[in-house]
Amino acid sequence: MDYYLSQAINGICQGSIYALMAIGYSVVVGVVGLVTFTHGEVIMLGAFAAFYTFQLVGNNLIIGVIASFLASAFIGVFVFKICYERFFNAPRHISLICTIGTSMLLRNLAQIIFGPNNKPLLEVVPNRFFGKGVVGLTLVQIIVIATVISLSFLLFLFFNRTRWGIMLRAVSQDKTAAAMMGINVRMTSLLGNSIGCGLGGVAGMLLAIYYQTLVATMGGSAGMKAFSSAVLGGLTNIPSAAAGGLCLGIVENLGITISSASFRDIFAFIFLLLVLIVKPEGFARKTGVRP
Amino acid sequence: MTLPPRLAVLLQKKAIRISLAILGIALLAAIPQLNLKSYYMGVLCRILLYTILAGSLNVINGYSGQFNIGHAGFFGIGAYTSAILSLQLKMPFLLALPVSGLLAMCVGLIVALPTLRLKGIYLAIVTLGASEIIRLIALNWMSLTGGPNGLRGIPAPVLFGLKFSRSQQYYYIFLVLSLIFYFMTRRIIQSRIGRAWISIREDETAARSLGVETMRFKAMNFMYGAFWAGIAGGAFSPYFKFISSDMFSLDEGFNILSMVIIGGQGTLAGPIVGAVIVNFLTEFLRPISQYRLVVYAILIIVMMWLRPQGLVGVSKSVLAERKFGRGRRTHRR
Repeated sequence: MDYYLSQAINGICQGSIYALMAIGYSVVVGVVGLVTFTHGEVIMLGAFAAFYTFQLVGNNLIIGVIASFLASAFIGVFVFKICYERFFNAPRHISLICTIGTSMLLRNLAQIIFGPNNKPLLEVVPNRFFGKGVVGLTLVQIIVIATVISLSFLLFLFFNRTRWGIMLRAVSQDKTAAAMMGINVRMTSLLGNSIGCGLGGVAGMLLAIYYQTLVATMGGSAGMKAFSSAVLGGLTNIPSAAAGGLCLGIVENLGITISSASFRDIFAFIFLLLVLIVKPEGFARKTGVRP
Repeated sequence: MTLPPRLAVLLQKKAIRISLAILGIALLAAIPQLNLKSYYMGVLCRILLYTILAGSLNVINGYSGQFNIGHAGFFGIGAYTSAILSLQLKMPFLLALPVSGLLAMCVGLIVALPTLRLKGIYLAIVTLGASEIIRLIALNWMSLTGGPNGLRGIPAPVLFGLKFSRSQQYYYIFLVLSLIFYFMTRRIIQSRIGRAWISIREDETAARSLGVETMRFKAMNFMYGAFWAGIAGGAFSPYFKFISSDMFSLDEGFNILSMVIIGGQGTLAGPIVGAVIVNFLTEFLRPISQYRLVVYAILIIVMMWLRPQGLVGVSKSVLAERKFGRGRRTHRR
């Protein structure tokens, strides 16, 4: 029993990382209005940015968070220029194929630049354990959960209390109406895309710290998990996407108790299929345009 | 492309077209007699194999507007099926080949069923996940697939008393298969089924309101594409004599996808052009092979910017439209 409980705790912790990825994904899809395939690569590049920052300035978590956020936000600008800017009025599959091409480009460039092998992440957080028996939290898990919660809270404040946040929400609900109200839709989409990508980058850093390793090909499965979680909120609703991430983490970690850890991704896939069969439009109330 | 009018009239005559086709096939069949180096024969074999793979992906992506990016998974299923059948059950090649196609087709149905109501990225992610799961199963099911060691020593097929082991001989197997694929697909595209697929691509709502059973035709389309990917896999494993799970990774799927996108979607000639271009590029880039997929990725993006239907893709269709006027919001995917 204790074993399952500890796996559930691991699941919640991992799920909170997935929740952050899914929040980023939902922000991107909601604000830009076009689906993206590059999120996994953005996550991976954020993790690498944090890795090199840690090597450069030592293990300072706050600087790591800022570096991965900024690096991924910059990649977001790049992705926006290539994949979205010209194609807002074009058929949707064109920008989708463009994001697939960009994701191929980024992944293979990363493999060339950073090398194909796993990089061991320096021990950023000391290995400490709170709790008794097998049930309890490690320091890494506490830090991960705290980072995710504080970033979500900051995002909530940003969306509800600032002028930029209101503009972002307006654009995500209706681009034409937002343009009529005098909002610069292009710049706002660019900003939203960068924020979503930045959150993904921080999630990538947390993922790398959690597993204590990172590799240039991690983007594929990370992107799939971000998508699977975001599907629960119809790809645009942020709170449902976060809940989806938590569910996905718990499902995965309970799933590997009945089989081996190499089948982790299979449970994520089964989760995605189940959501798509039961409720493909997601569990959120419909607001704004669906991609 | 515009032909001179007299040539166009000439080409419309059936007898002339048939004789041109026969001439082309005869030329293709004569290539192994030129005594080329086995390296060149290998390249030609690969081009023929990829015309089947890219062509079957084009049936899914280009004709019915669905979005499959995990085609390597079905390819892998076909390859593993024919390898296991011939190694463990000593099944003859002519029997193992259709079985591998049929199994890939069944898996294609399983993948397509939950996503028939969905479009665009949903189907894309599901096919991507399915391809990765198939690879993971092949990697971890030690007793059946050999796990990370792969399967080796797959016997060369023996047909009509002839053993097909070298590229020169195997070329004919690939040639016959790709010709069957080409003419079969051509017939289907010109039939009622093919017109239904194209109508779904152009406007699914309109197609349904005109009485096309879109779900059935989309499932059929996906199964047909998966079937031929399985056949290609089934022919591939006795040719290569060794398979392992990393041959069917996502990169392989993107490789096939780049052929379809660069060559052209929605025409029969498109994937063939794409397979030729991409395979020649692969050979040119062999000294810097790690940049191979970078080059393809840039080509895909350039294609989307300049000519979204691909080099010889279908021009009057939703695939070729780049920009709509304001207010027209059909074709949302």
